[in-house]
Parts: sequence; structure tokens; C-alpha cells
Amino acid sequence: MLLEACVLATMLCGFFGIIFKKNLVMKIISMDIMSTGVIAYYVLISSRDGLFTPIVSNVDRVGYADPVPQAVILTAIVIGFSIQALMLVGVMKLAKNNPTLETSAIEENNTP
Amino acid sequence: MTEITIAWIALPFFIGFVIYLLPKLDRWLALAIATVSAVYAVLIFLEPFPLEIQLLDSFGVSLIIDQLSSFFIFTNALVTAAVVIYCWQTGKTAFFYMQAIILHGSVNATFVCADFISLYVALEVISIAAFLLIAYPRTDRSIWVGLRYLFVSNTAMLFYLVGALLVYKANNSFHYQGLSGSPPEAVALIFLGLLAKGGIFVSGLWLPLTHSESESPVSAMLSGVVVKAGVFPMVRCALLLEEIDPVVRFFGVSTALLGVGYAVFEKDTKRMLAFHTISQLGFVLAAPVVAGFYALTHGLVKSALFLIAGILPSRNFKQLQHQPIDRQIWIALVIASFSISGFPLLSGFGAKVLTSENLLPWQVVGMNIAALGTAISFAKFIFLPHQTSPPVPLLIGEGSITRRGEHHEERGASPEEGSNVDKKKIQSGFWWAMVILLGGLIGANVFYYEAYTLKNIVKPLITIVIGWLAYLFIFKKLTIKLPRAIEKFDHLIGVMSLMLFLLFWTIWERSGGLI
Repeated sequence: MLLEACVLATMLCGFFGIIFKKNLVMKIISMDIMSTGVIAYYVLISSRDGLFTPIVSNVDRVGYADPVPQAVILTAIVIGFSIQALMLVGVMKLAKNNPTLETSAIEENNTP
Repeated sequence: MTEITIAWIALPFFIGFVIYLLPKLDRWLALAIATVSAVYAVLIFLEPFPLEIQLLDSFGVSLIIDQLSSFFIFTNALVTAAVVIYCWQTGKTAFFYMQAIILHGSVNATFVCADFISLYVALEVISIAAFLLIAYPRTDRSIWVGLRYLFVSNTAMLFYLVGALLVYKANNSFHYQGLSGSPPEAVALIFLGLLAKGGIFVSGLWLPLTHSESESPVSAMLSGVVVKAGVFPMVRCALLLEEIDPVVRFFGVSTALLGVGYAVFEKDTKRMLAFHTISQLGFVLAAPVVAGFYALTHGLVKSALFLIAGILPSRNFKQLQHQPIDRQIWIALVIASFSISGFPLLSGFGAKVLTSENLLPWQVVGMNIAALGTAISFAKFIFLPHQTSPPVPLLIGEGSITRRGEHHEERGASPEEGSNVDKKKIQSGFWWAMVILLGGLIGANVFYYEAYTLKNIVKPLITIVIGWLAYLFIFKKLTIKLPRAIEKFDHLIGVMSLMLFLLFWTIWERSGGLI
């Protein structure tokens, strides 16, 4: 229960970071924190019945961790980091003309 | 059929990378993929039973393919083909076609998958491919618009992931079916992701800027098919699960009214079309049973309109009213506008009739107002001045807008604004694209020819006439400019939290009622 609360707090911190941080890079880092929270939540849920790796062996029945959410979140991690890489490339391009990377300034320059 | 389906899903991704290796064949390969999808859609349409495929054991990928998907796939195929032909002579690099085809493939994937994780993967691939297409001109503005899109959709998808996990926790499966046994917060989180991705209601307010500032062919694809990737899963869930249906219908009506409310006051052609997309998605959601047909007609008409808006001499309605446009272009514009207002002989009519027959009583008033708003906003296009002799006046028009449109030019976007020699070449590609889209619009009448009864014909005509009168006497003179503050980036993200509360409350209320 405590762990779940911590995970949800991480997600919320990330979410509020996206809203309240002014700098574009900080926003991207906040998004990363939020996705860390989501990943942690997947890991937490998959370990609700136990922590053992599910491998067939002679050991008696013990509490196994659920492999499905872990497999799924692996995909999501890869997608998340590739999107972040893409965003950072975009930010690099934008940084040439907007060296401060203040979101409000960039927005003002680039909205009709 | 299973093997064909798998090959068809994988093909666009494979060919997408092949295009990059064989840049000489780029356009042909892209067109071939669109044709393959069209053929596949027809095959599925003729299939008597829905196809349910379960790949790789019980935790694997599940697919549902039925007539509903075939409509969406067919739309995607036609729009992609039209966009490829439109771009044929514009000198786009192989990179553009590669992204267009990968986008096509991932949109197709969302139309067949039936579990939340496959959907997640497909939606994220869409985000990446769409970002690369929006940022294709490599100007600051295009990169910012793309980045904004990527940011909003990725944040929404993070919420979605949490929702998907809660569904798994409750059912030990990611299948759509599991939504019924899940807690309300799971449904709320998943719908938040889909609403933001599909551009529905207030979480869809990222859409106007994104769609209006992209290049015309890209806007045509985004507005024609990509938003439907977010809408389709909601329609699918509404059809599978009874208790989701009223929620989806409710958002259909509210987004239809919101979009049209903005569209009637908009003074910029492409922004008007973008707001109108928000409203039309409402029509798709308002009657989930017949969503396929509406999506088909809207996809065709909206991409045609975006392509036409791209070659008009100006984006400002005020300027267009003083600047006669070429009559041929005007005719294409009028056919598209008539179809979307629901004029008989075009399939927009059949789609509107079919949707209104499947509405629930409480939806009818809202949807009629939305239909009236549609007629008003498209009267702006229909009553534009036009003339036959194109060459000389058109050139003068061109010259005068380049000065005004300097900051448009900076987008480096529109090849339409290039030299006149280019202009001639583009025209042939443009006309072929129009033949596909508008031809499809007329041909699609066969799906629902029963609509042609006297009562059905009179009602849209009255709506259109009232709409035109309202436009000529009221809206033409109005100069209200709605504030754009809510489209700011921070607000777009902030609105998500509000939407989450609204969704949770709606769904919790409903499930409380059921118990």
C-alpha cells in the first residue's frame, strides 16, 4: 500500500512538472519521471503474488511474479525512450533560435 | 484469412523501410501499399462473419476484423493513395513516403487489434510517424507544432498505460472485453488517452493548430485518418460493452457541439476545417453502430477539403471573398462542401441519415444543431466568388498573397506557393487525387441507397437552407474572434486532469446506477 502510494506520487510529480516547469528540457525530464512512475507501477502489480522468477524447476510451489506485465512494460520502456530521443532532437533544433528554451517564448514565436 | 491478415499488417512496415533503400521506387511502392489495403478492405467487407484471431496463446495479441474495420481500412487506403498522388510531382524525398506508409500501416493496425497493449504500440508508432511528417519541412514552427503534438499524445498515453494495467489487474487479460469487469478508474484512464489521441471534446484542442499548420497533404492524412485511430477503439468498446455505449455517445454529442461552435466563428480556412474535424468525430461517436460509414465519408471529404484549401490563393476567408478563385477548383470545393453538409446525391447525405436513424432520443437536438452549424460553416466555402478565366487573375492573386503570406512561406511548407511552372504540374496530381476522393464520395452511395426517401431528402435540404440564410444574414457580418488561450501548451496538459475527473465521475455515476 505504501509502495503504491509512492508510485502514484511519482507519477503526479512528473505530471505537475510537465505543467509547471517553464523550460522545455525540464518538461521532457518531468515526462520521463512520470513514465518511470508508470513503469514502477507495472513492476509493483506484477509482484503482487510473489517475487520469484517464473522458471520451471524442481522447487516447490512458491510465489511467482507475473511475467505478463513485465513483458509488456519492456515494450513501453523502449517506445518511451525512443520518443524521448526524438523529442530531444527536436529541442536541439529549436535551441538554435531559442537558446533559453522557455516554452512560452517558443510558443509565442511559432503560433500564428 | 489469418495468414493474409498477418502479412497485410506487416507489409507496410517492411515496405516502408524498403522505400528508404530503393528511393527510385518510393511513390510506386507507396501507391501499391494503399492498393493492397483497399483490396484487403474489400475482402473483409465480403466476409460473412467477423474474423477473430488470437495469436501466440492466451496472453498474446488478439485481433477482431469485421465490416466496421473494413470501412476504416478502406478510408485509410483511399486517403493514402490520394495523398501519394497529390505529392507525385512535388519532389518529396523518399523519407516522406516512408513515413507516410509507416503511418498508414500503424493506423491500419489500430483498426484490427482488440487488446489494449497492441493498441498502445500502434498508437505510439502513429505519434512518431505523424511527428516526423509534421516536422518534414524542418522549420522552427513545424518542429514546435510536431513537438507539441508528440508531448500531448505521449502524456495521454502514459495515463492510458496505467488504465491498461488496472484492466489487467482485474481480469488477467488485456482484451477489450475486460473493460466491463474493471474499476471505473481504469475505464476513465483509458478513455482519457483515447480522447486526447482522437481529438475529442476539450482534450482535442491540440488538433486545430497541428492540423492547420502542417503541409496540406499531411493535414489531409492527419484529419482524414489518423484521428480515427483514437476514435475507432472507443467505437469498438462501445459495441462490445453495453455500459460503455452511453459514455461514448455523450462525448460524441458534446464534441460535435464544441467543434462546430468554434468552426462557425473561424476566419481561417484550414483552422475552420480542423475545428470541423473535431465536430465530425462527434458524429462518428454519436452512433457507434454505423460509425464506419460516417468515418468513410468524413475521411474522404475532409482530406479533399484540406488538399483544396492548400491550393487556394489565401487562407483568410475575408481575402478570398475579394479574390475570385478558379471555377474548376470551386466546383471541387462545392462538391465536397455539399457532401459534408449532407446534400442528397453525395454519400455525406446517406451517412447523415444513417447516423440520425441510430441516435437515441436525447441526442437528437444536439446533433441537429451540430448539423446546422456544419451547413453554416461550409456556406463560407460555397459562397466564395469564382470565375472561369484562370491564368491572368490567378497570377495576380498569387503575387499579392506571397507578401501577406510571408510568415506562411517561412514554414517552407506549401509547395503550392512555389513558382507557376510547379503550379501546372501540381494541378494534374491534384486533379487525380480529387478524382479518387470525390469519386469515392459519390460511389459510396451504394452502401446505403435506402436513404433516398422523400422525408429523408427534405430534412437535410431544410437544414442547409436555414444554415445558408443564417450565414448570409448573421455570420458573414460577425467578427467575433474566439480567444486561443486554451490552445496553449500548458493548458492542453492541464485540461487532461480536468477531463480525468469528468470521465471518472461520469463512469462512476453510471456504474453506481447499474449496481
